[in-house]
Amino acid sequence: MPAEIDPITLSVVQGALQATQRAMTTTMEKTGRSSVYAIARDYSNALFDWDTRMVIQGEDIPTHLGSMVLATKAVARFFAGEINPGDIYLHNDPTYDGSHLPDMCMYKPLFFEDELVFWVVSKGHMVDVGGPVPGSYNPDAKEIFAEGLRVPPIRLVDRGEMRHDVLNMILTNFRSRKYQSGDMNAQLGAITLGEQRLRALLERYGKEVIKACVEQLLDAAEAHMRARIRTLPDGVYHSSVMAEDTGHGRGHQTLEAEITVAGDELKIALASPPQLEFFTNSYRSNTLSGVYAGLLMWAQVQPPFNEGLYRPVKVDFGPRGTMLNAEEPAPHVNCTGGPQETICDLIRTGLNQIEPTHAVAGWNHTWAFNIAGTRPDNGEPYLDLLISSLIGGAGAVNNLADGWHAIGAQAGLGGAQIGDTELVELLAPIVVTRLELATDSGMPGRWRGGCGLVTEIEPLEHEMTVIAWGEGAHQPPPCVGESRYHPELFAAKVARGWHLRGADTLHEVDHNQVLTINPGERYRSQTSGGGGAGDPFSRPPEAVQDDVLNNKVSLKGAELEYGVKLHPETLEIDSAGTASLRKEKDQ
Amino acid sequence: MNYRIGIDAGGTFTDFVALAEDHSLLVYKTPSDPSNPVSVLLDGLTGLARKAGLELPDFISRCAVLVHGSTVALNTLIQRNGARTGLLVTAGHEDSLELRLGHKEDGHRWDFHYPPAEMIVPAQRRLGVRERIIAGGKVRVPLDEAQLDEQLDRLAQEQVEAVAISCLWSIANDRHERKILEKAKQRLPDCFVTASVDILPRVGEYARTSTTAANAYVGPVLDRYLSSIETALVEQGFTGRLYIMQSNGGVAAPEVVRRRPAAVLNSGPAGGPVAALWYGRQLGYENVISIDMGGTSFDVSLVRNGLPDVVDQADIARIRIGLPMVNVTSIGAGGGSIARLDERGILQVGPDSAEANPGPACYMRGGTKPTVTDALVTAGYFPDTGLLGGRMMIDRTLAEQVIQDNIAAPAGIDLHKAAQGIIEVTAGNMVDGIRIASIERGYDPRDYLLVAGGGAGPAFAAELARELGMEKVLIPTIAGAFCAMGEANANLRYDAIRACPVRLCDLSPAVANKLFDLMEEEGRTALGVGAGDRVRVERTAEMKYVDQIHYCDVQAPAGVMDVPKLAQLRNNFHRRHEELYTYSETDNEPEIVSLRASIIIDTPAPTGAGPEQAAALNTIQAQGTREVIMPDTKEFQATPIYRGIGNETGRSETGDRFKSVPGSFSSGSSFSLQGPAIIEEETTTIFVPSGDTIRYDPSGFYLLEVYPRS
Repeated sequence: MPAEIDPITLSVVQGALQATQRAMTTTMEKTGRSSVYAIARDYSNALFDWDTRMVIQGEDIPTHLGSMVLATKAVARFFAGEINPGDIYLHNDPTYDGSHLPDMCMYKPLFFEDELVFWVVSKGHMVDVGGPVPGSYNPDAKEIFAEGLRVPPIRLVDRGEMRHDVLNMILTNFRSRKYQSGDMNAQLGAITLGEQRLRALLERYGKEVIKACVEQLLDAAEAHMRARIRTLPDGVYHSSVMAEDTGHGRGHQTLEAEITVAGDELKIALASPPQLEFFTNSYRSNTLSGVYAGLLMWAQVQPPFNEGLYRPVKVDFGPRGTMLNAEEPAPHVNCTGGPQETICDLIRTGLNQIEPTHAVAGWNHTWAFNIAGTRPDNGEPYLDLLISSLIGGAGAVNNLADGWHAIGAQAGLGGAQIGDTELVELLAPIVVTRLELATDSGMPGRWRGGCGLVTEIEPLEHEMTVIAWGEGAHQPPPCVGESRYHPELFAAKVARGWHLRGADTLHEVDHNQVLTINPGERYRSQTSGGGGAGDPFSRPPEAVQDDVLNNKVSLKGAELEYGVKLHPETLEIDSAGTASLRKEKDQ
Repeated sequence: MNYRIGIDAGGTFTDFVALAEDHSLLVYKTPSDPSNPVSVLLDGLTGLARKAGLELPDFISRCAVLVHGSTVALNTLIQRNGARTGLLVTAGHEDSLELRLGHKEDGHRWDFHYPPAEMIVPAQRRLGVRERIIAGGKVRVPLDEAQLDEQLDRLAQEQVEAVAISCLWSIANDRHERKILEKAKQRLPDCFVTASVDILPRVGEYARTSTTAANAYVGPVLDRYLSSIETALVEQGFTGRLYIMQSNGGVAAPEVVRRRPAAVLNSGPAGGPVAALWYGRQLGYENVISIDMGGTSFDVSLVRNGLPDVVDQADIARIRIGLPMVNVTSIGAGGGSIARLDERGILQVGPDSAEANPGPACYMRGGTKPTVTDALVTAGYFPDTGLLGGRMMIDRTLAEQVIQDNIAAPAGIDLHKAAQGIIEVTAGNMVDGIRIASIERGYDPRDYLLVAGGGAGPAFAAELARELGMEKVLIPTIAGAFCAMGEANANLRYDAIRACPVRLCDLSPAVANKLFDLMEEEGRTALGVGAGDRVRVERTAEMKYVDQIHYCDVQAPAGVMDVPKLAQLRNNFHRRHEELYTYSETDNEPEIVSLRASIIIDTPAPTGAGPEQAAALNTIQAQGTREVIMPDTKEFQATPIYRGIGNETGRSETGDRFKSVPGSFSSGSSFSLQGPAIIEEETTTIFVPSGDTIRYDPSGFYLLEVYPRS
């Protein structure tokens, strides 16, 4: 192997690997069938090397990244000794380090000159993987067996030959299989494209040069993370967060982390209560996604993103059978949303407390709904995950910036996408009656959290099932430092859902419910805003005024949360009134 | 003698080209000044007039056609200094513009410092109108006119200068939107008012609303600009026709552009592929890749089967624009792009640029960061005697100093290795740009002719071609004013679209014919030509498989549609899907989203250089040699320097007519020259690496043949 690769070749190879990953992503978006693929972009592609180390993780959906790191190794181990050119493996099961059952992942080993050089990996969220509830988010599941089809690592394509009987068996278990069939074609297209590109790269530069580049890219990322960790003082730090009771009735649970900084290494030891008979448990691969997401939100490093970043970080998941290291038969399907986001908060806030200069506050946690029913026009069943329902506010960046409005949830960090209202109405027989930013939803701060989103829909002349799942009803996302919202405005900041039974009859619904919405009725969902940073009473009054002018903050919010008084008609700043409100607070 | 003028206003330079009836070309390049575009315009026309040996009024009176590629609309959007705009939308959806589909642009997933896009219409001027139409066009909530009046009063109070109107499903039933348009015009008679159905009649509310809002936002600004240009030209005695370059690669009269200003946002770079195709056709090529290296960016565009690659939407200045535009891949690899060592010690170039001010260090305007131009000077590609025929002075020691201080010393390598490194990394970025425009879209660059433009593009072109396996590079003598050349040669063009959501098996030829006929009629009206006049029509079908959401553009057969032609369309779609995404689903039914037609009046292409000029090409002798770093050996080598033939056409600045001059490089078409060599044209510098050959073609270009990489 060449000892030294010149920086130019390294740069070109790095660019080519990134371009390959991007092209895979484009293929899935453009050719996918379900709205989850083609609109929401809830998928991730990555390239792994001969040693199943992640070389390019891409920028798709952060909640997938840790599970891919572990799962590719698990799949390679499973097939060790019988990995052949032309094979493609498929898998979703979390006991083999999958993220959750709806995330179907394909793995293709790439052989070049008789040597396994790369793994091309593509993971995507299927709109349904069976089980008793459309969309496979089953709040009543006590075991993983009640959540959907479990696929351990299987050989989907054997030396270039698709195993149609196996594929058919899988699709037969899914509702609305035409979506998943099309989505799997899209995934196969992405894998094929990735392989073609890598092969061309290997032919152009030669295997040894490419392998040397991969080693250097991994080493460079590792060095970068080590340098970042070295900025922290050595010590043992503790972090804890509340995991909401979103329907199991056992009360809020506490998740804890002990973070040990030693030189340029981190040791993270997690501790969590025993696993629950509720779908919010997290198997270790999903837990790792949360840890890595929190780490990267803190570290804020430059690309490329690869497994080298994680070499200096050791993670202890705690005893098996606990919420963060679940084992069979724990139900888990909700884990890639709220639980992953809560773990991310646990790690990020733990690191931010050590060094808060440019700390990022929490983003909204996933609170969303699936819809299902029968189209009144042609009698065909439909099924959709309404992505707008999970989009919420981003966290502020300390000493730097307000949070973005409506690009959460934290699991996606802006990678997901709302469906265009007209496209959504073409796909499902509904009317989107409201899609608007929620006033006062952003957490106050010198730097304000971004606003959450209100989505309201009405079924067109039919009975519609709504599966409302997720979390965020009991606590808004964490701020940098103290949360300073006013209790009167708490309800504006958290995730909520309403069944509208008539023009003025709002019936608030509990989280994780299956509802029936009749013709003439509506369902409304609101996501939380993002966390703030710094003292809201030091936010410039002009910035607060601008927020009021643009409906991001109410007059009441300006007074209660920011100490800014505006003239109720002209919305001019009342300087004397503001000074007096802000002085009161100081006392 | 009459002239056809092309003017391209870029961020750093404004380029002027005059095409004379005898096919001779005049070219002039002058620094841009966004604060005073009229003076730049007159300066450039004066420069051209001097080269033509004429006084300005005399020259202007001979300008039959003037095509202008303007960055005014684009800069208005980038700098967010457009009209105070109000937006009327379906109540409940006022925030669509700000939500931007709830997505953060790719490339910034882990970048928490990347700011949100600044709104062109803030929430306080985005007002809901109580009304609702649903898919299929049925009215679900009737238009509440009393409430509309209140909202119009609010916009009046807000003192808006422009109003955009976009209702959900107006494309299925435009009654509400038309009524709102009518009442808005009555209530706000001095405003620029625009409705979404007139701008973008396509499914997809976000893109339609955003495009309409942008249309309103830039409308009044563009209108004022066009008026000032028209006035200035008329004052100078211009009696020819003025056209504006559009993003779609065609030109349109100012009155058409005034109604659809969003259609000219990408107008500048759109000239590139037009010029590239014109040159490529001189050699019989219909497949060309055009590259243009300006001060700030490196623009790549692909022309396939004689058709520029036109996309149906893109984000411009972070605003979604859903109108057809020539797909230009723009990367930060211009002459002014800045080189640095990143925190891992890896050499990076761009996307930050030194721009026009202060510019590269060697321009002597106070630049302190090493740029690509500084590297090209240090490595010997650019002469230290200056560029633009000596009008732009260069200081080589300043170039060497910034590279030494910022790259060579910290990296512990010598100056020349650092300069060569900058050039190679830049070339690598350029290759990536060409890959995005070609390979990533399913096209093999080896099937294309590379046409290189820009002041520095031809210095890189041979190595880029070799890297991508391309065999031939065409370099216009006026490469530095490449887009202006494209503008002078652009066709009149109007793009029409009609929604047609139907499975292919259910599409009757009669319906297709009716839609295509309607669009052709609309185009003829916009271009001001009668039913009998000859136009060219390009047809596109936006197609997908049933249940897919995104579509791809498929070429639709010409002529009267019938059953066999629909079958042909079906095959075209399957093939296109496979080309783009490696597979097709031939057992699945294709579905049409929209049909499009582009109505085009071709500009007669000039046929090449006049006989006098061709006859003058008879001598060849290097003017001397310069030490240049070779890309293969990475060592300095004495390289012959030739004075370009393009310098000899037309007249000099003083009005003297050049004949063949000893020491100039000139040759008949049979002559070829071996690298290494450098050819210096007034607006560009061509590098011919050793082993490659180059010849001059009297049509006004060089053809460089690249030896394949071993």
